[in-house]
Amino acid sequence: MTPTAHEPGLRTYVGIWIALLAIVAIEVALTLAHWPTTKLLAALLALAMTEAAIALLYFMHLRYERRILFWCVVPTVGFALLLMDHIWPDAFRALHMRLLP
Amino acid sequence: MVMGTPGAHHGPIEASPLGIQSKKLAMWLFIMADAATFGAILFAYGYVRVAAPDWPHPFEMSSIVNGVIMTVVLLTSSLTMLGGVLAAQAQKTSTAMRWMWATVLLGILFAGLHLKEWFGMIGAGWSPSHNPLGGPVNFGAAFFGITGMHLLHVISGAIAIGVVALMFGRGRLNAAHVETVGLYWHFVDLVWMFVFPLVYLLNAR
Repeated sequence: MTPTAHEPGLRTYVGIWIALLAIVAIEVALTLAHWPTTKLLAALLALAMTEAAIALLYFMHLRYERRILFWCVVPTVGFALLLMDHIWPDAFRALHMRLLP
Repeated sequence: MVMGTPGAHHGPIEASPLGIQSKKLAMWLFIMADAATFGAILFAYGYVRVAAPDWPHPFEMSSIVNGVIMTVVLLTSSLTMLGGVLAAQAQKTSTAMRWMWATVLLGILFAGLHLKEWFGMIGAGWSPSHNPLGGPVNFGAAFFGITGMHLLHVISGAIAIGVVALMFGRGRLNAAHVETVGLYWHFVDLVWMFVFPLVYLLNAR
């Protein structure tokens, strides 16, 4: 492995762990505040993506690897998920399809 | 760049442009495929949920508290795994093994809490094809499908870390193996970061 930046120690990881726990606490607080479902979904997704980004960059060391690894992994998965987001609604169209008599 | 000439039958081997060992690259490729799998089932769940106006909200406060404890346990297990990786890289074998076994124990605790939640749901009449509240049956299928898939990953990960810890302790595996299995464990944690809010919190009463 050839890291491109100095890797952090356990103390830094503890700080990141506390930050992730804080995000979980915010998620629970928003849920208990009984926001409307759409608004809550948007907020929870944004917070989950923030958590995931922190986990990817620090816990999974993507920040400390060569930048090309990041560009190979993240856009590829993101594109696959984007395609799914656009293809899944087709299931609703299929619900209303009728076979010809 | 040329790394070496391993044998008469092969030419020189090019260094990885990604700067990582092949085992780590294989793990990243697996993680990318698995991310697409979890993405597919979470998108499917999302669309099914949006399509059902009378979607059930079965989770009481006790389930949310249980989910928060599970989340804390899993996040802490990621931290202990990082401790294992750092100790392994520093050639501190016994310390690395302690961190890894702590990770395995936290994984088992997570699975136990998960099964407690499952048995509670099953006891209340939920199943993949039955909704005791009388609404759409898809909730049970989504809940048991998504959390079951994740639980399978947690159990597999705990076993894998246990095996790596044992073999690392015997000197048959090195720090790179510990780092690779750690990568998988953090991914399992990452998936839970989406499962908990989308499956538990969004369906709280």
